[in-house]
Amino acid sequence: MHLNRLLLYFLIGLLIGCSDSKVNQGKDFIFGTLIDIKIYGESKIDAEKVSNEIFTEFHRLHKLLHPWEKSLITDINTAISENKSITIDSNEILTILNNVQRLETQTQNLFNPSIGKLIKLWGFHSNDYNHKKIPNEKIIQELVSSNPSMQSIRIENGILKSNNENVQIDLGGYAKGYALDQAKKILKENNVENALINIGGNILAVGKYGKRDWVVGIQNPRKPNVLATIALKPGWAIGTSGDYQRYIMVNNQRYSHLINPKTGYPENKTQSATILLPPAEDSGALSDVFSKPLFIIDKENKATMAKKLNIKYFLIIMNDDSILISESLNKEINWEDDIDKRNIKIF
Amino acid sequence: MIKEILKFFNTIKAGDWFIIILFCALIIVSTKFLWNLPQGEYLEIYKNNKILATYSLNQKITKIINGAKGDTKIIIDNGRVRFVSAPCTKKYCIHQGWINKANQIIICIPNKISISILGNKKNYDSINY
Repeated sequence: MHLNRLLLYFLIGLLIGCSDSKVNQGKDFIFGTLIDIKIYGESKIDAEKVSNEIFTEFHRLHKLLHPWEKSLITDINTAISENKSITIDSNEILTILNNVQRLETQTQNLFNPSIGKLIKLWGFHSNDYNHKKIPNEKIIQELVSSNPSMQSIRIENGILKSNNENVQIDLGGYAKGYALDQAKKILKENNVENALINIGGNILAVGKYGKRDWVVGIQNPRKPNVLATIALKPGWAIGTSGDYQRYIMVNNQRYSHLINPKTGYPENKTQSATILLPPAEDSGALSDVFSKPLFIIDKENKATMAKKLNIKYFLIIMNDDSILISESLNKEINWEDDIDKRNIKIF
Repeated sequence: MIKEILKFFNTIKAGDWFIIILFCALIIVSTKFLWNLPQGEYLEIYKNNKILATYSLNQKITKIINGAKGDTKIIIDNGRVRFVSAPCTKKYCIHQGWINKANQIIICIPNKISISILGNKKNYDSINY
């Protein structure tokens, strides 16, 4: 009889060991993209509770920051276009606007969250952009030469005013990263030590997957699989700007949503720019923002821009299939077999 | 009634329990395992153990492959694949029917053609895109 009981316990143990019950996963569709939260080492109930708290926060941010559906941002934009001032009673928005003003200067205006009019003109202020037309060149030139910039916005005692009516704030290149940082806070408040948060490809690692680091795959811009994998150490964030998620095809030519604020046209020589950033309070937001200038700036200046922004880990895929990678990232990355190593240039 | 059931249970010996539990466990483990197999994404076609071609499974297409004994015809049908005709005598490969899960394989030994399905290699926790 004792033997039977032992055997039974052994088999039950075997069964429990088989299922991956250590990770609980939550998915939702917010910010027009897929959110995937993996929590390691918590009970299913606790993990679900925390995931839902994060999803609720993301829905709040979505409503607050939406670039074209009614939000505090569209209210501000309406005021700016009518050359009126607007009182902002949200400290959060004031902090965000302050941050993006600073980031715009830091990135030599290549991250410019005030070009909402250009993004709308190209048709990306829509959930189903499948138009086959490129905008009128003259209108593009007019908008570019009106020089929209976050620096035209003055905020005093919570009252915002812009002296450029063509400024329309679009935080599309910041919001998802900011949301990662908010998620990190919620995890900490709930004492969750190990999690992986993915907002439409922007990923933040909190803690580890048991004894090993979380591992992420980097999407191949032109194939339906990953081109490499990389371990994301605790607190690190990874962000990619790519021309393969939001884009339109006109006459067999690809026009991505990543518009160069200085030309008014989508940058078309880069397929993707990926960066990894070390733990910091705003590493999520920075991983979202800093991939843009690296994507947009011309090939010759990409490494210089990375250095200027203190990005030690970057990977850029050009349209001619050449791969630019920083030395630090090259040491840690695991390439998939189908990558032609002769195309890799190390910086 | 209950007494009879208990009586029946008393007739089961340690060795019987061993076999009963073992098989129950085997059924549960294999169901769990097979249920969760990821759907495949690519099809690899081998001829003489060399890769002849790789196709996406997400299409509807008929392919004819020239093997050791003649032409083998396969059909890819949006996520699944099967042999339709082959020059072999036993036609085992055709009787296998459709396959659609990662790591599934059909081999036609006489014609030296095999097809196998590749899934998303899940050697990462999440994808950055």
